[in-house]
Amino acid sequence: MADNDLTKTIIPYLDRHLAFPLLAWLVDNSIFPVNEVQIAQYELAKGTNMHDYAVSLFQQIHPDEPVPEEFANKREEVVSTNERLQHEALAVLQVIENPEVAQSLRQDKIQNLQYLKDKHNLMLEQITALYNFGQFQFSYGNYSGAADYLYHFRVLSTDVDRTTSAHWGKLASDILTGNWEVALEELNTLREIIDSRAAASSTTSLLSSTLTSTSSNVVSDPALSQLHSRTWLVHWSLFVYFNHPHGRTFLLDTFMSPAYLNTIQTSCPWILRYLSAAAVLSRKTSSSQSAPGAPPVSSRVRNALREIVKVIQTEEYQYQDPITTFLKELYVEFDFEAAQKALKEAVDVVGNDFFLGEFKDDFLDNARYLISEAYCRIHQKIDISDLSERLNLTRDEGEKWIVNLIRETRMGADAKIDLEKNVIEINRPPQLVYQSVIEKTRGLALRTQAIGTAVARAGAVPPEKQMQTREQQEPQQNLQSNQAQPTATVTAAA
Amino acid sequence: MSRFFRSVGSESDTESSEDELITSDEEATQKPRAATTQKSAMSRFLKSGSSDSESESEDSDSDSDAKPKRLPLRDASDSESDESDARGAVKILSAQEKRVVEMESIGRAIENASKINDWVAISSGLPSSAARHLADPVTEFDKLARMIQRQQTSAYSIPPLYLRTLLSLDESLGNAISREKEAKKKMNATNARALTAMKQKVKKASKEYEHEIESFTKNSEEYERNHAPVPPAHSQGPAQPKKTTLGSEKEGDEFTTVGKGGKVVQFTSEGLFKSLQALQEARGKKNTDRGEQIRILEKLLEVAVTTYQRIRVLLALISSRFDYNSSVVNYMPLDLWLSAQKEVDQLVAVVAADTGYSIQEVTTDYDETAERSPMTEGGVVHIRGSIISFIDRLDDEFTRSLQNIDPHGTEYVERLRDERLLYCTICRAQAFYEQTHQSDALGRVIMRRLEHIYSKPNAVVQALESALDLSETKPRMSLSSEGTTTSLIHGLCVYLYTTTNSLLRTRAMLCHVYHYALHNDYYTARDMLLMSHLQESIHSADVTTQILYNRTVVQLGLSAFRSGLIKEAQTTLLDIFTTQRVKELLAQGVHQRFQNLTPEQEKAEKQRQLPFHMHINTELLEAAFLVSSMLVEIPLLASIASEELKRKIISKPFRRLLDFADRQIFTGPPESTRDHIMQASRALQEGDWERCRDLIQSIKIWSLMPEATAVKEMLAKRIQEQAVKTYLFTYAPQYSTLSLSLLSRTFALPIRTATSIISKMIWNEELSASIDQSDGVVIFHHCEFSRTQSLAQIIADKVAGLVDQNEKALDAKIGGISGWVDRAEGAKGDKREQAQERRGRGERTRGSRGTARVGRGARFAQGLGNQMPGQVIQKA
Repeated sequence: MADNDLTKTIIPYLDRHLAFPLLAWLVDNSIFPVNEVQIAQYELAKGTNMHDYAVSLFQQIHPDEPVPEEFANKREEVVSTNERLQHEALAVLQVIENPEVAQSLRQDKIQNLQYLKDKHNLMLEQITALYNFGQFQFSYGNYSGAADYLYHFRVLSTDVDRTTSAHWGKLASDILTGNWEVALEELNTLREIIDSRAAASSTTSLLSSTLTSTSSNVVSDPALSQLHSRTWLVHWSLFVYFNHPHGRTFLLDTFMSPAYLNTIQTSCPWILRYLSAAAVLSRKTSSSQSAPGAPPVSSRVRNALREIVKVIQTEEYQYQDPITTFLKELYVEFDFEAAQKALKEAVDVVGNDFFLGEFKDDFLDNARYLISEAYCRIHQKIDISDLSERLNLTRDEGEKWIVNLIRETRMGADAKIDLEKNVIEINRPPQLVYQSVIEKTRGLALRTQAIGTAVARAGAVPPEKQMQTREQQEPQQNLQSNQAQPTATVTAAA
Repeated sequence: MSRFFRSVGSESDTESSEDELITSDEEATQKPRAATTQKSAMSRFLKSGSSDSESESEDSDSDSDAKPKRLPLRDASDSESDESDARGAVKILSAQEKRVVEMESIGRAIENASKINDWVAISSGLPSSAARHLADPVTEFDKLARMIQRQQTSAYSIPPLYLRTLLSLDESLGNAISREKEAKKKMNATNARALTAMKQKVKKASKEYEHEIESFTKNSEEYERNHAPVPPAHSQGPAQPKKTTLGSEKEGDEFTTVGKGGKVVQFTSEGLFKSLQALQEARGKKNTDRGEQIRILEKLLEVAVTTYQRIRVLLALISSRFDYNSSVVNYMPLDLWLSAQKEVDQLVAVVAADTGYSIQEVTTDYDETAERSPMTEGGVVHIRGSIISFIDRLDDEFTRSLQNIDPHGTEYVERLRDERLLYCTICRAQAFYEQTHQSDALGRVIMRRLEHIYSKPNAVVQALESALDLSETKPRMSLSSEGTTTSLIHGLCVYLYTTTNSLLRTRAMLCHVYHYALHNDYYTARDMLLMSHLQESIHSADVTTQILYNRTVVQLGLSAFRSGLIKEAQTTLLDIFTTQRVKELLAQGVHQRFQNLTPEQEKAEKQRQLPFHMHINTELLEAAFLVSSMLVEIPLLASIASEELKRKIISKPFRRLLDFADRQIFTGPPESTRDHIMQASRALQEGDWERCRDLIQSIKIWSLMPEATAVKEMLAKRIQEQAVKTYLFTYAPQYSTLSLSLLSRTFALPIRTATSIISKMIWNEELSASIDQSDGVVIFHHCEFSRTQSLAQIIADKVAGLVDQNEKALDAKIGGISGWVDRAEGAKGDKREQAQERRGRGERTRGSRGTARVGRGARFAQGLGNQMPGQVIQKA
């Protein structure tokens, strides 16, 4: 079981504090010997300022031994530092929290700084105190406080490096406080920053000191540092995406964008597990119309499964686990038996995964749908018992399942259950010609419009425009009536 | 006349005494000697020179000419020799003079005999018409050669006469041979035998005196003047011999004993710099004798005492060795190369041993003639020179010699053995540069090293590296320290990636990829190649790098083929095969069809050719390409027939061959690789997969592929699968149902595999069918369109195509990278990528002749490798 566990792979890309939940999960899950995990937790905690936690861990591990002296000393140290920093930060905070000041602050940071300097004698260095205090709070586990201070700092500071690292810190704090909506926002802003900043200076500083990351902190190459940032972001975002209600869709949207897909393939192929799981989980959103309230689904998400299968195929040599194998067997090899086997394993893996654990049943359900959908599409006559077996269900359950399937999916009209022979018959009439024509011409109107606007923007030559306007009309006609369409298109295409 | 010859044997005893006799004569030699034999020899010599040229022209006329001439010519020679004989009788000749006269007469005899095509006389000395008066059984030529040898042992220079004779002999030999070839009428057997024997002798002799001949042909008069049989200066007094010898200016005063032919030549270390300077001034001048220079330098090296002196002399010596052969076509003589190699080693050792000296390409001016040491310079002594350029040159010369030697001969193999020495030298230099931290040169030398090993299998690299273990200076990276070849190459490449020289980085990357591909690590190789984004910039690279790129891509294709990735192999190899100039693009042959190159271009092209042992077998390459094309194309062809859809031709070269094969009325049993594949394709089309498999597996060239049996098995499996597909495509219209078990029996596949293949086809909508699981059959759906319906579909397609075209036009106009509209969604995004790709291809076809070629993996940036390097564009 431990073979498929990714905790060890992922932790290097996480902040020290973010790793605690993962380890705690492992303790609960007992994949690894509890004792070992506890030792790991202790080692981890020792490096932070959370001494009480460390002490309690120490006592758990070594119930008989006295707590080492150093903790007490360190504790005192921390408390004094805390006081000092708090004192520094307080001065700034007082000024900022003054309603008068809050009102007069504007969008322009430089102006704000000037204002604060003039009116309240507040220097940049003092603002940095906010940052320091926030960082310190984070290090001893007061995440909400840290988030607060870092937020204030970010609003005021002009220091690019510090601001970025404040972003990271805030994201971590939000994640750890479980504030998913805010964390999602933070994640998106951070993503924008990383994407926009081509020549990013290294994203070290606030967290790099606490990071257990093995990657070098001093990154000279901007492209490389961007890759590092993205890799981190991908890992951190897993927390958000698998906890936010619509997270899976966001995950697909983000990870399937070329830049991040690239990142995943280059530096962390194991993320493919989460990508595939998310794709399977969001099957319903991709096949049916999205539920009310859910964010609009982009085509990227809709076609995610197909794309992911392609990626899995190309990355097979680098990474595979039961989940990816399941998709591969189902959509590349069409070997339903192998897919079935892989699914069994995959469900176990999902159940034991920190991020995916909650979605175990969901995953199984959706995966079954996928299998039966593919199965029905290929077959004409299916033995119900056989299908139930493939889905790991008893006969009765299987029948129920299949009836539901037929009701839910679009093949309702085509599939019939013949109980006498105990088979499902699927009659799939070949696609009608007019349908395929509509299918082919569907997107044309939109595309031509896009061309039109682009031409207008570029100030293109008139003849091209004419051609496009003609085209714009024509697909609409196609859609209106397929009867009139042949003649209409002839004139247009001639 | 015969008296002289008889005296030949006894001459050596008397020689020394006679020599003294000559030296006393030497005053006379200085001033114009009108009446001496010396002079007469000279003049006669000149005369014979003129007659020689004349006779040559006559000689080339024809065979029939020669006969009537025989008599008068013999008379002439007789009378001439008589004359000299007579004169010889009158005058008392010194040994030297005697020899000269003797040689002359022999030379004449040879000349005459060659004119009348009488090789026996020249070679075997059997009594013949021309040489009848020479009863001596020793051959004329041999006699001459022996005399020359003696001449040399007594430290005289080689007389021009000998060289002239050699040359003219060579020429008339050539004439005779060509005549012999033309003429139907053969020579008589003895004559012919003598001719061949003679040929060999002349060859041998001219090799022996190679540089003399060369300088002679360059400037015969000069040579004659220099080498006029001047009695050598003897060490009678220090002052006397000065300026007595001609052509000794460069040797200057510093020699205690001087003389071209002086027996004892002493060079002292004190005068070393002056002589060096003198040599350097003479360097590059038209009539400088390079061979002589080298010899002097070798002697200078022996006397060099201090490190500084040795370095200076070595620098001069190595460069003069490289100077020796200036013509571009030929390569450096092997012995010279070997000694140059040793001297480079020596130089490196000397410089490495003493850190007080450093050799640099740019230094401040210093006095060439003064001795310098770390003491006088106050620190490190900088000397002008460049070891790295010596190494480069050494390596280039090695390659050049391999280019010129016939690769199928033993000589080539012999020569290849020298690679070990060269490799050691390179490694030593690497160690030296590592020690002295010269990063620029270190990069270059590591590149050289890498180029020697990247394309070689492990065993060969081990052999090269094992030689390295013996040497005392080792570079930081070696096979023994790194463990495996791959990690060694990785280490070397990683070093090169950190250098600032982008050319080295590029080449290192390509070598690295090549190495991975060679060792079947296809994925790593592919990812590296794509990630390097080289395909975008390779157009602007220099030609050799482009060649390396082509080699890398081809090797990548082969590696995909070996790993069973047929589609990848096909697309990777397609580009290079569509050009139909595979050999040329890989620099393994010059292709001159439809090309008019200027001689310079041709020469450059020839120089670029890779030595034979580096070649990638093109026949194997073609076999791999055609077989993978077959596996991709045949099912596709079958689907076209069934669906009436026009699909894009994937592999033009293959399609062309197939069409050609189809047009043939009679097909015999397959002979060439192509025949095999074409017939196999036909068998595959008919669903006869066993025949197809047998044909493919019987191709002989597979034996050259590593793991041939595994590859064959893989191919058999692929053929089975593709045969099922082809069969289904071809015969689907004829069936309404088809039993799965029958299918699996026919193609000897497990039912599961067969089902999987069919499912795949159904899912991808290639086949309109569905599986009836309970009965175990495939049910085909047939639907026929009415005319209106199919027309409607065509129109819809065309409209979609129109929009595509518009988008592309706009793309081209605005420039794809900026993106005129955010269309990154779904399929449309794909299309734009395709459009970009297509543009890229257009650029390629426009690219300059010869070596331009580009893979199409540009999309790695957007979605990393979810497509293959050369993904085929499919028209929607």
